[in-house]
Amino acid sequence: MGQQPFEVVLEAHHAEIYRYLRRVTSHPSVAEDLSQDTFLRAYRAYRRLAPDANVRAWLFTIATNLSRNHFRAERRRNRAHAEARAARAQVDGAGPDGEILFNEARARLDRVVAGLPLKQRLAFLLRKVHDLDYEAVARSLGCSPESARAHVFQALRKIRRDLDGLALPHMEPQP
Amino acid sequence: MNRPRTSCAEIEHDLIAAATGDADAAAQRRVSEHVQQCGPCGGEFQRYRAIDGAVGLWRQAPDPAAAVPDARKRLEARLGEVKRRTVTYRIFPSPLGNILIALSEHGVSMVEYLGRARDLAHSRLGRLPGVEPLEDGAEVEAFYRELMEYLEGRRTHLAWPVDLRLARSDFHRAVLRATAGIPHGAVMSYAGVACEVGRPSATRAVAQALRWNPLPIVIPCHRVVGSTGALTGYAGDRIGLKQRLLAVEGVDTVKAQRDLKVPRESMYVRFPGDDSYCLPSCPSLGTAQHPHRFMFFGSRRLAEAAGLQPCSTCRPDLHPIAR
Repeated sequence: MGQQPFEVVLEAHHAEIYRYLRRVTSHPSVAEDLSQDTFLRAYRAYRRLAPDANVRAWLFTIATNLSRNHFRAERRRNRAHAEARAARAQVDGAGPDGEILFNEARARLDRVVAGLPLKQRLAFLLRKVHDLDYEAVARSLGCSPESARAHVFQALRKIRRDLDGLALPHMEPQP
Repeated sequence: MNRPRTSCAEIEHDLIAAATGDADAAAQRRVSEHVQQCGPCGGEFQRYRAIDGAVGLWRQAPDPAAAVPDARKRLEARLGEVKRRTVTYRIFPSPLGNILIALSEHGVSMVEYLGRARDLAHSRLGRLPGVEPLEDGAEVEAFYRELMEYLEGRRTHLAWPVDLRLARSDFHRAVLRATAGIPHGAVMSYAGVACEVGRPSATRAVAQALRWNPLPIVIPCHRVVGSTGALTGYAGDRIGLKQRLLAVEGVDTVKAQRDLKVPRESMYVRFPGDDSYCLPSCPSLGTAQHPHRFMFFGSRRLAEAAGLQPCSTCRPDLHPIAR
């Protein structure tokens, strides 16, 4: 069998998946529960995964599905708004390097990303934070690559609108 | 002044993509053409670039100390529990009907006759508390191939790592280990196995332990018969399977009044602990105190394959049993 042991998969991807879920949920304990569920599910299904499958993209798909289920159940319990507000209040603005300008931008980004509609938030995080290509983003979201692009595009427009007027630190644009 | 060929609304999608590193070459060309001629869109382009840069820094924001390693530790603990509970299994066709083979992290933990059934709902595995069955093929397949070779008589040993955790008690495990010591092509009585585990009066308890053998064939409970040689029972009422398994190993059975039995009077005998085999008429056997502890072999070849020498008193090599 050409598959790596599951421990290797865990070592390689746990931190990233956990961080992804933290950004998706803005809630450390929910992120931890979802990342545990992601890896337990992955462990059970791992043997049936094709040996040449993209394990990282597959894990993002599982994590994305679980977080969508989570929010669906939350909505049903009608607590989504209260929790999102509480989570946003938790976000702290103190930066590692004390750059006031950037801290302001960071806090605003935390808020605006947490407030994006779920599909836009997921698409934005998968593409712009975790660098998945649009094919993989689309597979994770169960939509077409064009829709995935449109979600990212809408998310960026909202971020642009929300940060309007805010002085952004001068940064080298990403290549 | 030249007007841009594309309108601002038309270019917006490409502009955002180009400013955030997501555009192909053609879109980039359209955008740079447009922004050269449209000041406001040039400003938008710079703004999106700045936002892309801010997102780039934002994504590098560190986690609260130890959050990731702590989450990882708790995940590994849960995963460990799941692994201990998990058995992978697969159901295969065989000449004895469908057979389920299950594998834990320690070894083969269950072999089960399913007859015509081919799903977990008909298996004990799905009903055992604390066991999480997971259907899978790759690792179980190799064991299946060896089992087929065994059933076709092309293999005499299944040297498998076994996991006896699915046995019901320590006594059952002791019985199963003793039974695993009965060599290919030999039979022994339930009473003999009871003596082997140091509980000579527990004959019926031994029979119960073998009834719940989680690893038939691998732990050869088909080699355990009644003190008279009667097959008595196997895997519920599948006595025909016991007969077939013994036949595969070269042990004949004959019809008795109400049962099938092995013809002990025409089989070679090993006294427990001896490294030789005898004719059933050997004078050395007449004085034995516990005749139910004898082990019987279907042929000289089988006895010798089990590492035994011909007895120097009765010389079964010079006077083989006539069939």
